[in-house]
Amino acid sequence: MSTITYQAPLDPEGVVQTPQRPWRHKPRSFTRAVALAVVIPAVISAALFFFSPIPGAIVLTVIYFPLQMLASGIAAWATRGVRGIADSIIIVNAIGSTVFSVVVLLSLLGSLVVRGLRALSPHFIYQNSVFINPSTPLEYGGIGHALVGTILVVAIASLVAVPIGIATAVYITEVRGKAVPYVRFFVQAMSGVPSVVAGLFILTIAVSTGWFSQNALAGGLAYAILMLPTVARTAEEVLKLIPDELRTGALALGSTRARTVMRVVLPAAKTGIITAILLGIARVIGETAPLLLAAGNNDGTVINPFGQAIASIPVYIFNNVAVPYPDAVARAWGAALALMILIAVLFTLARVLGRGRVGRAK
Amino acid sequence: MFSRLVTGAAFTSLIVLAGIAIFLGVQAVSAFQTQGLDFIFSTGWDINTDPPTAGIWGMLYGSVLLAVIGLVIAVPVALMLSIFMVFIAPRKLSSVLTNLIDLLAAIPSVIIGLWAFYILNPPAEQWQQLLNQYLGWIPIFQNTSQNFSGTPFIAGLVLAIMMIPIITSISREVMSRTPPDLVNAAEALGCSLWTMLRYVALPYGRGGIVGGVMLGLGRALGETIAVFFVLKLTFETNWYHIIESGGGSIATLIVSRFGEVSGPEELNLLLAAGFFLFLGTIGVNIVANLIVNRTGRLQK
Repeated sequence: MSTITYQAPLDPEGVVQTPQRPWRHKPRSFTRAVALAVVIPAVISAALFFFSPIPGAIVLTVIYFPLQMLASGIAAWATRGVRGIADSIIIVNAIGSTVFSVVVLLSLLGSLVVRGLRALSPHFIYQNSVFINPSTPLEYGGIGHALVGTILVVAIASLVAVPIGIATAVYITEVRGKAVPYVRFFVQAMSGVPSVVAGLFILTIAVSTGWFSQNALAGGLAYAILMLPTVARTAEEVLKLIPDELRTGALALGSTRARTVMRVVLPAAKTGIITAILLGIARVIGETAPLLLAAGNNDGTVINPFGQAIASIPVYIFNNVAVPYPDAVARAWGAALALMILIAVLFTLARVLGRGRVGRAK
Repeated sequence: MFSRLVTGAAFTSLIVLAGIAIFLGVQAVSAFQTQGLDFIFSTGWDINTDPPTAGIWGMLYGSVLLAVIGLVIAVPVALMLSIFMVFIAPRKLSSVLTNLIDLLAAIPSVIIGLWAFYILNPPAEQWQQLLNQYLGWIPIFQNTSQNFSGTPFIAGLVLAIMMIPIITSISREVMSRTPPDLVNAAEALGCSLWTMLRYVALPYGRGGIVGGVMLGLGRALGETIAVFFVLKLTFETNWYHIIESGGGSIATLIVSRFGEVSGPEELNLLLAAGFFLFLGTIGVNIVANLIVNRTGRLQK
């Protein structure tokens, strides 16, 4: 009786791959190599930065970054062999890109808070700018009129875009007609319309028909063009999560298709729909170009959406940026901070509402 | 009744798109009637003649140049960032980063413009000076005037900052959908991170990444306000001197001329310029969506 002994297949090149066992504890030499690779370039660059006349930007790009790649490459070569070098270069670049993006974001948010807080005060929120010119000190004037304008414009945009957006989503998920792929295609294409073109379009209608001029209605319609794709696509995602049992159950009980959608599907997706609306508002609320073209600007508070030109926060910021008066610029920063807080609140609300509870039947 | 109503609403997007194309197209036709083909192929903007003469070549070209500069900066950063988030960073850090990048995408362009005008501009002018000083022998870094403000480079950098979150979120999405079996198999076969990326993750996500880049490009072409604050608009075509003051951008042209528009003739020219902006961005966007959708279907 012969036993069959297992023979390992021969590697064609006669080289046996050693398993890398990534779960094993990293040997101390590896930790030491990584530490050295991080510390040495940083120390050299810091020394050059502080004790030599070479500008910081050059130290960072021409000396520190290549040096860091070289050091990591050597460390990887020493611990893992030639194949580690490419990995180490990728990791250095990946961390570098991440740091760059995070620094940009922190610089944006930091400057908003630091420079914006100077202008932010209670009266800045509710006063308007009727008697304000760029050199007026910060104790007077505010964004009250712009806030009212923005709320009015966004309300009009929501009145137009939300029903149409939800109806589009209902068409895609509930009616499921033949044209579904085309509808989705056009909604996607519509999300690529640049904001300035949306403003121009409304302006052309206004000019060529003479139905309205620069006012909150025109601004709201321009916003609606930008808002519709966001609402439609988010609502579509939400409606897809509603389990089919709810629909078939309602239909089996003798409900019409319209009643199924209105009384069963949409109520079940309520929080998700609200999320879609909030995301749509957050998407448009900072857009400047459409309002610049379609809604204009005003120093006073305007309530009538069909009347004269109306102010808004983005346009208020726009008009105060490149003004050679520090107080006007401080107002721009203050309004920017207020706008950013508004957007952050909208996004947080959307995220909290959107978490989990869509489609209760699950 | 109900389904007819819903179907009607569903075609609103088509109606709006067609409406934009028709209304702005009519304006473009009448601009061609007064300007001829020079409207596209010449440069200049003179409203004192009767009728006003205009050529938007410098602006069309400038928009593309800015977008290319932005892409050159944004694509490597966004790719590396998404590789970091998907394959390198611990899960917690990567979810924090996702939120931060979403936050960056949510910042309106007017605030980015404000920040770029006051915070980014001073150091960026220094960087350009250094570029000119040390790499000035390369034609694109030539600058004879030593004026480094309002250059295509700064505008491209700002566009890059606005494109990074778009490209990152899409390429992160497609790369994180690489089937874990493939990644694990590659690692079990002894692939290093680089070989795994090279032979598994990048080929797998290629379509999505290309689509994401094109979506970013569409955003860059249509970007108006942020560019308005950092670019000095000039009507002469700035072909490739990217750190020399002055450049063109069709979207910014519309906003900057609109405030002091002289009359219906000039408004007509601006609307016609808007038509070309619409054509360009919608074309790029449609191609991008087709690519993203196709890869999405392949992966299912």
